[in-house]
Amino acid sequence: MNQDENNFESLRRLLALKRHEIPPPGYFNRFSAQVINRIRSGEAAPASVSERLHAEAPWLMKFLQIFEAKPAFAGAFAFALCLFLVFGTVLAERPDYSTPQPLLQTAESSSASVAAVSQAVLPQPNDQTLLASGSSSNSASSLQPVASMFGQQNPFAQQVSFSPSGN
Amino acid sequence: MIMAEPVEPRESELPVPEEESTLVRRARKGDLAAYDDLVKRYQERIYATIYHMTSNHEDANDLAQESFIKAFQALKSFKGGSTFYTWLYRIAVNKTINFLKQRKNRTHMSLNDIDFNAEHDPDLMALISDNTPRRAAGLTELQKKLNEALLKLSEPHRLVVVLHDVQGESHEEIAKVMDCNIGTVRSRLFYARQQLQGYLNDYLK
Repeated sequence: MNQDENNFESLRRLLALKRHEIPPPGYFNRFSAQVINRIRSGEAAPASVSERLHAEAPWLMKFLQIFEAKPAFAGAFAFALCLFLVFGTVLAERPDYSTPQPLLQTAESSSASVAAVSQAVLPQPNDQTLLASGSSSNSASSLQPVASMFGQQNPFAQQVSFSPSGN
Repeated sequence: MIMAEPVEPRESELPVPEEESTLVRRARKGDLAAYDDLVKRYQERIYATIYHMTSNHEDANDLAQESFIKAFQALKSFKGGSTFYTWLYRIAVNKTINFLKQRKNRTHMSLNDIDFNAEHDPDLMALISDNTPRRAAGLTELQKKLNEALLKLSEPHRLVVVLHDVQGESHEEIAKVMDCNIGTVRSRLFYARQQLQGYLNDYLK
């Protein structure tokens, strides 16, 4: 490092000229008063978006600064993001074959329940005696014609009475 | 047994950081007189850094004032993890870099005058009185060339040169202000000096 310092010695002497650049006379006598007056009047330039980010999310600014310093990182990040999106899209559109068993089971169980309902509702061959007795109050399962429809008497309908064979 | 009464340390004996922390504490409570003292203490260094970064007095004036105002408004968020000076420096540097990014390609120099002492600086006189092309250039011309060369550097490289070679800050302090490690500061300084040597070759023979 000392070698570097020697190499740049003349440059450092030239840069010393900057220390001789001074603002107009009396400038610093007024400076603090101007600052305090501006604070008192509540005047301040509105914070820019990047300033607000610096204050509120310094990690995000550091992240962006990495991209700014090394554009290759930005390219790699963008590529990885695109890859992730494409992979996600393909995965979402692919038909799912991984769970056929539960579906079949559901179908079987649903057909079984339908059969159970139909058994309960529809008359079975063994229930002939029940049907013949006419004691059922279930109109849906009754084979009797409807006596009146829309409030009108059906002229062709006849009252029929069944009586059990034993009586 | 007679107990000696505790003696309050006189104000002149207090270490500087403690005094600064007292001022900061008072300023946090809204004491503008205390903040005025803090402004007076650091105004020259803050202004000079911004001026050397922008090469424009009016911009430096606005940015320096806004930095102090912003620091006052943000004093409640100052945790004391670093010195007030480092924290203030960081605000000023961030503000300046944001400003320079926005005004990119709209560079307008408004240089301050060179003080009387420069004409008695033997190093500077040597630069303008040799039998080389630089002899023709007076101090003002040299100042212009130097500022133009500095403006060609990127903001982080310019900042390192300004803080180290112009302001005389240590590598450690620069690392704290720029929120990077010392190695980065050293490498940026080396690269920036190399660039400057290239730009100012005629004046460095």
